[in-house]
Amino acid sequence: MDSSEVEFLAEKEMVKIIPNFSLDRIYLIGGDLGPFNPGLPVDVPVWLALNLKQRQKCRIVPPAWMDVEKLEEMRELERKEDTFTPVPSPYYMELTKLLLNYASDNIPKADEIRTLVKDIWDTRIAKLRLSADSFISQLEAHAKLDNLTLMEINTIRAFLLDSLNCMYKLRSNLQPGSSKGQFTDY
Amino acid sequence: MPCERKPMRYGHSEGHTEVCFDDSGKFIVTCGNDGDVRIWEGLDDDDPKFITVGEKAYSLALKNGKLVTASSNNTVQIHTFPDGDPDGILTRFTTNATHVVFNSSGSRVAAGSSDFMVKVVEVSDSSQQKTLRGHEAPVLSVTFDPKDDFLASASCDGSVVVWNIEEQSQLISWPVLQKTNDISNAKSLCRLAWQPGTAKFLAVPVETKVHLYERGSWDHVSTLSDDLQTQLINVVAWSPCGQFLAAGSVGGSLTVWDVNSKLCVERQKHEKGFTVCSLAWHPSGSQIVYTDTEGCLGLLDGLSTSTSNTNTTKAPAKKAAKDYDDLFDDDDDDRLMDEGLSETNSPVKKPITGDDDDDDDDFLMPATGRVRNRGAILDDENSLDTGSLKLGQDKFGDDDDTGSVVVPAAAPLVPMRPVYEGPMPTAPQKAFQPGSTPAHLTHRFMMWNSVGIVRGYNDEQDNAIDVEFHDTAVHHAMHLTNSLGHTMADLSQEAVLLACPSTDELASKLQCLHFSSWDTNKEWMVDLPEGEDVRALCLGQGWAAVATSALMLRLFSIGGIQREIFSLPGNVVCMVGHGEQLLIVYHRAPGFDGEQALGVQLLQFGRKKRQLINGEPLPLSLQSHLSWLGFTAEGTPCYVDSVGVVRMLNRSLGNTWTPVCNTRETCKSKSDHYWVVGIHENPQQLRCIPCKGSRYPPTLPRPAVAILPFKLPLCQTSTEKGQMEEQFWRSVLFHNHFSFLSSSGYEIDEDGQSQTQKEQQELLMKMFALSCKLEREFRCVELAELMTQNVVTLAIRYASRSRRMALAQRLSEIALEKANQIQEEEPEEQEEEPEYSGVRRTSGYGQSEVTGERRSNRRDREEEEEQAEELREEEEDGQEMETEEAAETTKRVNPFAKEAVSSVTPSLTPIGKVGRANPFKVLGSGKPSSSSGLPRVTNILDNMTSSRKSSPLSRSAGIPSKGPVLKPLAPRPKTKTQSTLLQMNGTKAASKKTPENTQPAADQQKQPEVPPPASPADNTENNRPKTGFQFWLEENRKSITADQPDLEETDIIKEAMGRFRTLSAEERLSWTERAKGQTGDAADLKKRKRAGGGAENDNGQVEADENSSKKKKSLDPSSKLSAFAFNKN
Repeated sequence: MDSSEVEFLAEKEMVKIIPNFSLDRIYLIGGDLGPFNPGLPVDVPVWLALNLKQRQKCRIVPPAWMDVEKLEEMRELERKEDTFTPVPSPYYMELTKLLLNYASDNIPKADEIRTLVKDIWDTRIAKLRLSADSFISQLEAHAKLDNLTLMEINTIRAFLLDSLNCMYKLRSNLQPGSSKGQFTDY
Repeated sequence: MPCERKPMRYGHSEGHTEVCFDDSGKFIVTCGNDGDVRIWEGLDDDDPKFITVGEKAYSLALKNGKLVTASSNNTVQIHTFPDGDPDGILTRFTTNATHVVFNSSGSRVAAGSSDFMVKVVEVSDSSQQKTLRGHEAPVLSVTFDPKDDFLASASCDGSVVVWNIEEQSQLISWPVLQKTNDISNAKSLCRLAWQPGTAKFLAVPVETKVHLYERGSWDHVSTLSDDLQTQLINVVAWSPCGQFLAAGSVGGSLTVWDVNSKLCVERQKHEKGFTVCSLAWHPSGSQIVYTDTEGCLGLLDGLSTSTSNTNTTKAPAKKAAKDYDDLFDDDDDDRLMDEGLSETNSPVKKPITGDDDDDDDDFLMPATGRVRNRGAILDDENSLDTGSLKLGQDKFGDDDDTGSVVVPAAAPLVPMRPVYEGPMPTAPQKAFQPGSTPAHLTHRFMMWNSVGIVRGYNDEQDNAIDVEFHDTAVHHAMHLTNSLGHTMADLSQEAVLLACPSTDELASKLQCLHFSSWDTNKEWMVDLPEGEDVRALCLGQGWAAVATSALMLRLFSIGGIQREIFSLPGNVVCMVGHGEQLLIVYHRAPGFDGEQALGVQLLQFGRKKRQLINGEPLPLSLQSHLSWLGFTAEGTPCYVDSVGVVRMLNRSLGNTWTPVCNTRETCKSKSDHYWVVGIHENPQQLRCIPCKGSRYPPTLPRPAVAILPFKLPLCQTSTEKGQMEEQFWRSVLFHNHFSFLSSSGYEIDEDGQSQTQKEQQELLMKMFALSCKLEREFRCVELAELMTQNVVTLAIRYASRSRRMALAQRLSEIALEKANQIQEEEPEEQEEEPEYSGVRRTSGYGQSEVTGERRSNRRDREEEEEQAEELREEEEDGQEMETEEAAETTKRVNPFAKEAVSSVTPSLTPIGKVGRANPFKVLGSGKPSSSSGLPRVTNILDNMTSSRKSSPLSRSAGIPSKGPVLKPLAPRPKTKTQSTLLQMNGTKAASKKTPENTQPAADQQKQPEVPPPASPADNTENNRPKTGFQFWLEENRKSITADQPDLEETDIIKEAMGRFRTLSAEERLSWTERAKGQTGDAADLKKRKRAGGGAENDNGQVEADENSSKKKKSLDPSSKLSAFAFNKN
């Protein structure tokens, strides 16, 4: 799975926008959206919100968790806990990136939020690496990690799987193969 | 005791000040925050001498040429007076002294300090100090016992303590004050005062009263209070004679009591209401000088006390008379003076003493004018005073006897000024623009409405206005520099209107940015006449209105042409425009006890200009003011008061105001508010901005709009009944705008309207079902009265199905009434017609796909088809109609008798068909609506059940997709009348079925038009156990009557009996069998209205396809009705 695919999934998340145009309800396969009344908040998927925003047709209302204080709290908690803490949104990283890239003018303290979310992300990824490390070093057969987001899993998946495969190959080559190898060598 | 309040003058810079007179009364001495002591030769002295005593001076005392001050360097110093030479330091504290006083002889000084100590120091020898320890907080004030034994002090620890100076011990302590931790936090300075001379009382200001404690016993012997005194008393001071006590309050009021009578003899108010922080009597007792915390100095002159002689008493009396005279009426000067001087001393006392002297008349005559009367009374107070002081006698040269009576009688003083105890007027609320935040904010919303937002910035860098539109299609955002200082704004789809108040040089201006103008000049400006300020403004469609301080309303066209102008009945509070409507709220009168008395005007411009509401009072919640005024998007006026109640105009109930929402109910915390920005009726939305912990939203971060639902404050909305009632009435209220809009010529959303009607009827039906379940039949009938006629028929069916015959009968009467009503109304009220026809059409065409499509198609076809075809179909319709009794149908038949006969006679058709076939043939024109009785009902049912199935939330969403499309079917009044006729029949049929009605139709026979043969048949059919003979009779009655048309009813039966007997036994048997079957059938059918359908089933003679469709129709309703059955769980 590509990270762009994860992002694609994240774009289905709903976000509040304040449109500056008037439009009746629109009927899409995924469900009805609208009606759009200028000045009145309405829930739309992120992809539409960004599209409208880029056309300067709306103002995006940042999700409630996208707030400096709340994120600071979360960061502290994330740092304190050894395990993964629950995240505000399953797509927090993607949403932050998308919204801050396209609608930073609608989000108060955008820079701080970007830093905070990056901090949280880094902490979590560090934890993830650490647990992967201990997983491998202890030669465990399985592990359970709670509260991971799709994006986080996705970032480590390719590397972890490949490396596990590699190690498996190496190990399997080592025992029976070693004799074999010796055979062929000689 | 009227006295003259001299204007305040600047004394010191802002802050605590103190004042006293010198011993001779020649100088006023003040000290203040600027560290200076100023010596004024009088209030008018523009060049006072000053002595600088420190950076700040906290307190001063003056006696025997020695000026003692407490200054900021924590010392108490002496200066000579009046020269101002430093004369040493008396004592020191660890922090600043708060209050210094001399004793009566001037030999000692007492000083209280913020370091909790009180020191008593000999002036001559500052080493002789006595320290009084015991307070647990900074000392507020100190005072000497005039006999020098005791000292009283008040402290921030809440206590007032009396000390024995020699023993340096606490004698007694009263915890009467509020505790605080510092002087600066103390609510009151609590300056104590000991009665001079006798030293009998110690006066302690406690909140709004003054407590008097008796020396020796230290009992709280009395309290001086004044009803008008609502603020904490800060300082008290005894008059030099010891009879009067003056008090100054935090709110700036000055009160003088006579201590003996405990009556308030003088009230004055600080001209600006600043805190009086010091006050002193002139040694003569005729003046009081006071200072406030703003550093100003004031003087009350003309006080009369026991020490003043007759002349001084007289002088102020004269002065006062003049004073009030000037105030009220200049012309009466002389007369009043006379009164004041000669006669008026007695008259008021006379009612008291019961003396009816001839002076009465003299007094009463001039007293007719209210103003003079008041002046006289005020004068009398003065004279009463003097009287009580036994000084008045010689003054009353001309009525000695009265005087002699008066003086003794006056000893127990009666309230001199009638103390006003009624409600106090409230300050009228200031004019405001609805949807704006207060003008004092640097960043504020000048307007937030459904069009956009106008923001005003007024800080150091920038004075600007931002205009932003919710819908960018209207116009792009604008940024204007606010060089004129606009404070008011309104915004519409066409223009931005701004206005500023007048300044010293510039007149009040009105500026309009008419951005929708098609020419190049998009702006105009108007100056208001001098002295006239814009108070409120609003924009409508094509016009702008401005209310001014001159109680004027000026109308402008949006292009800048001056239009109508008219006067307002009161100061405007706010106004709004919408389309052609203008809503103005103004002050009707002063309100009392926190209420506002507002009036409202609603005007309509456009073609027919008129006033819809003329100056009716605007109902507000108790103790609240108006906080928002506006129109709904549909044009219904509404407003919000400060307690959060939203009210809306109910045009259908004589323009009353109905509360539709209480925004405070949804607030989580007490300090949260909702700031309303708009109201929509369809869909029902209250758009507002939630403000956490405030009444107004800040401009940044940009607030988001939230939507609140409406809820009428009906009783018991937790019960299902209450909920439905609330829903129903809310629906009714929120759809008043349809009729308003259509009556004022706007196009309306007919879909929405019909949908609403349906929703309302559905709710009624649900309530009906609920009441039925609860055995509330009377309530059912009441509900039925609210229903439309179609739904009543449905209700009838529901009632009869749930075996409530009495109810069904009553309902049928209602249905009949309604039908008649519609008939009557139709020719008269063309305006109402669209409404009704809308319903009908909806119900007629809004059929479910299965049954409806075909029917309506067929009906369309019908119109074009030939007579024969029509006839056939009509017969079917007739069967559907199940008009059971022939009486009604035949009634209609008669006018067309010829045709009727021809088709009737040959028919040996099943029961009921005989009579029914005919009416439909002749009523060719009535046919399109002939089926109205039944199909309509089924349609409504279809719609209702479908909407019922969808969840309540999605109902509104569910209906429109399924909603009927209004076909442009021209309403045919003729058709309508006939349809109602038919429905009448239908309902009559129902009524006939009720058991009470089964007795022989004597009444029917009386009806001249009714052919006798028909009615008995009808009735016998309704009698439950039918014999074979009766059946036979029904079948053959026609032939009998045809043979012998002149027979009487009884004869017919006789004849029939004879004929029946002649039949063969087999035939008779078959008839009885048939009767049995029929009665069995009837037993279960009789509860249904659709007995005709049953008969049809019996006969099974009609075409199969028609039959099937009919079955569906006749059976469907039952299943659908069951959906309405109210489930108690």
